Amino acid sequence: MNDYITIALPKGKLFKKSVALLEKVGYSAENVVEDSRKLIISNEETKVRFIIAKTVDVPTYVEYGAADIGIIGKDVLLEQEKDVVELLDMGFGKCRLMMAVPEAKRREKLTDYAHLRAATKYPNCAKEYFNKLGIQVEIVKLNGSIELGPIVGISEMIIDIVETGRTLKENKLVEVDSVFTATARLIANRASFKLKFDRLHKLVEDLRVVLAEEGK
Amino acid sequence: MMTNKVYQVPYGTKDILPGEMKARRKVENAIINIFDKWGYDEVKTPSFEYVETFGSTGDESNFRFFDKANKLLMLRTDMTAPIARLAATRLQDGEKIKRLCYLANLYRYEEIQAGRQCEFEQAGVELLGASGPAADAEIIVLAAEAFKAAGLENFAISIGHVDFVNGLAREAGFNEEETEELKSCLRRHDAVAIYEMANRMEGSREEVKKLFADFFFLQGGIELIERVANIVRDEKALAALNDLRRIYELLDAYGASQYISFDLGLYRSFNYYTGMLFEIYLPEMGYPVAGGGRYDKMMESFGLDCPATGFALGVDRLMLALARRGQTNNRNWDVLVAFPEGKIQEAIVKATALRAEGKSVKLATEAMNLEDAAKEAQTLCCTSLVYIA
Repeated sequence: MNDYITIALPKGKLFKKSVALLEKVGYSAENVVEDSRKLIISNEETKVRFIIAKTVDVPTYVEYGAADIGIIGKDVLLEQEKDVVELLDMGFGKCRLMMAVPEAKRREKLTDYAHLRAATKYPNCAKEYFNKLGIQVEIVKLNGSIELGPIVGISEMIIDIVETGRTLKENKLVEVDSVFTATARLIANRASFKLKFDRLHKLVEDLRVVLAEEGK
Repeated sequence: MMTNKVYQVPYGTKDILPGEMKARRKVENAIINIFDKWGYDEVKTPSFEYVETFGSTGDESNFRFFDKANKLLMLRTDMTAPIARLAATRLQDGEKIKRLCYLANLYRYEEIQAGRQCEFEQAGVELLGASGPAADAEIIVLAAEAFKAAGLENFAISIGHVDFVNGLAREAGFNEEETEELKSCLRRHDAVAIYEMANRMEGSREEVKKLFADFFFLQGGIELIERVANIVRDEKALAALNDLRRIYELLDAYGASQYISFDLGLYRSFNYYTGMLFEIYLPEMGYPVAGGGRYDKMMESFGLDCPATGFALGVDRLMLALARRGQTNNRNWDVLVAFPEGKIQEAIVKATALRAEGKSVKLATEAMNLEDAAKEAQTLCCTSLVYIA
């Protein structure tokens, strides 16, 4: 167990790019695919093991030490506040958490939205955002199709991730304010980072080189 | 009528059952014995104190309540402050160098996980009145000895220094606010934010910028200290590196250097540390199982100005690591003394004699034949049977 590096990979939009980048620095295994029926895939030669996990579970695997490292969006990290080491900004998977309202319901100032309801998949980030604005808002936690909130009448606004802005437009929503911008991060378990420091340090250095080349 | 009510324990607390507790007591005793061997006096303080003892009015992670005079009380969240209070108010006329140790339950409102409960147990020591590397090395080695006594050998110790962080921040020209931001990043283990801070730095030498960008990766053996000492110019940071070097020499003399690596980005969430600080890791556990360091300013606030250093280890975390190795169930007694009808007096005499020899003995509670006695010995976890014929 201990001579392996176990990596938790998130299913979904970060998956392919993560696998490709890790492969470039020598961390690969056969059949690391998103719909793999095997949940754990090992490469005995290079002593690497992959766990393919649901996105929101990646920080949990890493915090508990089931995986030594993982790749996950900063948005998920901000929402969960897990006790892990954030090692590297991988640069890809850029997205933004923002506040939007139906076009017709737009108000003049941000503080005018006090005491309304906000639907979101990110209740903790939303709470912190409104706290900073100094206004009280009722947070309605939804697990998907956040933009439905105002349409079906369970909220007046939404706090959601936007990549292209198309979904907003289709649902006649306008962005009012940006909460934060997030990219994919390489995270590590606190104990693993100490106990397997040399390998993880090299991994970070190698990834930095690869990312710098790609950035050119 | 039978009731269906299940009596639960409060959130974040747990019962420790037979066998489990026996194994735990063995570990606790082994640790306290090591502390005693090194000349540390065990003390006990109240489970709750006035909130002022903890230097604040507490926060949402504290269990707080009022006494009859409406004074605000708090369940203790760590032992360093209560021991400092005790030393400053009750032992101020004693020896100048005070070595104290404890085994105590502490209370913090936590999101519970394996090894992280609202009520948890720590064993630790405080060495009061001594400054300098000898006291710090003693504390680090004693922590290592405690792990060995508990039966754990494959731990790793990371050592850092508060003044290295302060010194490097000064060398970078950081103001107070920026230094706080740096410390917050170190505490949160956010290497990305520090990397970004380094890229924003202006006017610093390239080598210093590079050190900063790599703050979390400044880990390694004594050669790391030499390498960094060649780059840094700030006096405070250099003094810190020198302090670490001297501590290392002493750890080497103790024969403990194989457990040690330096981690110059180490920064613990308690803000009372003033010098070296360290954490201990086990491969079974995803987070530190022990930690400590030097805190030269805290005693002053209790009215006894003296340097101090110490550490605490999480007994629950240690027991969990042992359990993951299958080493924590220990329900065995040496002897069952059983007897037939009319022989109980002789059985009592025999049991008493065996206990005097140092054996652990259970005495059967009623007369039985030899065959039943053999079965009973197994059921009661006794490794041998003495049957009074």
